[in-house]
Amino acid sequence: MSMSDPMSDRSARIANSVMLFIAGMLVITPTFWMVLSSFKQSFEVTAYPPKLFFTPTLENYVTLSERTPFLHYAFNSMVVTVGSTLLGLILGTPAAFVASWTRITWPAIVTLVARMAPGTLFLLPWYLMFRQVDMIGTYGALILTHGVITMPIVIWVLLPFFDNIPRSIYEAAQVDGCAPARVFWKIALPLVSSGLVVSTILAFVFSWNYFLFSLVLSNSDTKTLIAASFNFIGEGSTNWGGLMAAATMIALPPLVLATIVQRWLISGLTLGAVKG
Amino acid sequence: MASITLKKLSKAYGALTVIPDLSLEIRDTEFVVLVGPSGCGKSTLLRVLAGLEPISGGELYIGNDLVNDVQPSKRDIAMVFQDYALYPHMTVRQNMSFALEMRNVPKAEITEQVDRAAALLDITKFLERRPKALSGGQRQRVAMGRAIVRNPRVFLFDEPLSNLDAKLRAQVRAEIKALSDQLKTTMVFVTHDQVEAMTMADRIVVLKDGVIQQVGTPEEVYNQPVNEFVGGFIGSPAMNIFDARVEGGKLLLTDGTILDAPKSLREGQSVRLGIRPEHFVPDLSGVSVPVKLTEPLGSETLVHFDLAGTEAIASVPPDTPARAHGRLSLRVAMNKAHLFDPETGASLRQKTLEAV
Repeated sequence: MSMSDPMSDRSARIANSVMLFIAGMLVITPTFWMVLSSFKQSFEVTAYPPKLFFTPTLENYVTLSERTPFLHYAFNSMVVTVGSTLLGLILGTPAAFVASWTRITWPAIVTLVARMAPGTLFLLPWYLMFRQVDMIGTYGALILTHGVITMPIVIWVLLPFFDNIPRSIYEAAQVDGCAPARVFWKIALPLVSSGLVVSTILAFVFSWNYFLFSLVLSNSDTKTLIAASFNFIGEGSTNWGGLMAAATMIALPPLVLATIVQRWLISGLTLGAVKG
Repeated sequence: MASITLKKLSKAYGALTVIPDLSLEIRDTEFVVLVGPSGCGKSTLLRVLAGLEPISGGELYIGNDLVNDVQPSKRDIAMVFQDYALYPHMTVRQNMSFALEMRNVPKAEITEQVDRAAALLDITKFLERRPKALSGGQRQRVAMGRAIVRNPRVFLFDEPLSNLDAKLRAQVRAEIKALSDQLKTTMVFVTHDQVEAMTMADRIVVLKDGVIQQVGTPEEVYNQPVNEFVGGFIGSPAMNIFDARVEGGKLLLTDGTILDAPKSLREGQSVRLGIRPEHFVPDLSGVSVPVKLTEPLGSETLVHFDLAGTEAIASVPPDTPARAHGRLSLRVAMNKAHLFDPETGASLRQKTLEAV
């Protein structure tokens, strides 16, 4: 226990507030700008200096819902995101468990490298491969490729959660009559439930926001929301207002989810069976 | 209920051999304590029995079944872990029911078994709590309860008392012993604490570097240690060890202190003399030694003193007039003393005991 010095306590609090403020501004400013722009007329969006006060209009949102198949793209995005998140969980969760159990982590590192590689690296081979099996423009192709986004997230979020489970608990379960697969289902999985929630939401958000694969591997019918929003960027002119309105709508689901994940992150792990 | 037979069992991790070649027969319903200093391979041996570590060589039988390659889940053993390893997401009742559920025991029977074990261990009122809400001692009981409900062929205990405070440890020690009488199941208990070994075991197995030093009842191991290691390891305070040589029919310590020599020793022979603290007897005709420190324990007093360059400890009656920085005359009960070969450490006692 350190003695608390009121002066240094105070300056630490101030420093904290300043840093939080800077970090907050960095994150919030573009978001704020985006939302603000979505309510502006097209000519106002690019005006300089930017206008903070203007007559808000819903014109951009009207354009979005009436002139584009917005809901259809949203549906596409949902299918691909939910599908790839499930795929990531189904593949990533047992993988993380086994990597933690056996302490063989190199496959996990390979997935991380794959995740860190620029997406463009995959584009050509995948395009050729999926064309070969006639899957271009299918949800399947998008879900599979988005697995590259979701699976590493699931693995790397869950690895420390599994590592946190004392080995003796696994061993007790084995002695109690569990084969390894049952240890996974009955013991490990319930103990990483908060990790599962966190990894699900992160995978969902990242997959939702990923546009590159959809740009190439989808067709006009299966395009995801974020790839479709690029239609607002024209050859000659860009409809910034429309793009910002689309972006605002696209940002909503991750925003809601991020709020939920925050609560789960704080609640943390509930390991209490071992000493200490 | 089952015996355990180890035949030329070995265990290595890569190039590191932990257990070179070990044979041991643990009888049905016997309470065997594996004891030794840390790193002696006792925990590894227990984990091998449990099936948590694969065997490198030799054979392991539980009952009449060769279990070398049998999964832990199929060995019908129960284990109490050092950190208890309770399932944090389950209540005490669920923790205790788990193994039975894995064996598809009918629900009603599970409830009955759990209630019975809980009553036996006095944890009935905690049954609906999570491990997190229990104290260390209560968790320890739950861990035992989880093992008991199984009614397994063999109980394994991996230093289950080391996380308890001293008072609780003594209490649980007695309870485990009582439990073993009641359950009549083969029990293998690992500890580094020789007091636990002495108080609980039917037979003690003393291990060092993966090699069995001695197997015997607590009395045998205490009174007839086969070598200096066992003599020094079993007993608290530890046996005092002195270098000595036979000269003129007497035993001469390095500082010239003269003691009676057993007749069987050769003239000029070097030995290691082991004397337990209680075998120093206050006697005015004995050797006068400088007292460094006294520790009155009530029923006895421990006297620390210098003898032949060794700090020795004597356990004497509490009314002995021993003061720190004073002197005390002590006689050695030579018929209880131990003699070890300075080269091999092996006991010379078998040959010398009756000759004193």
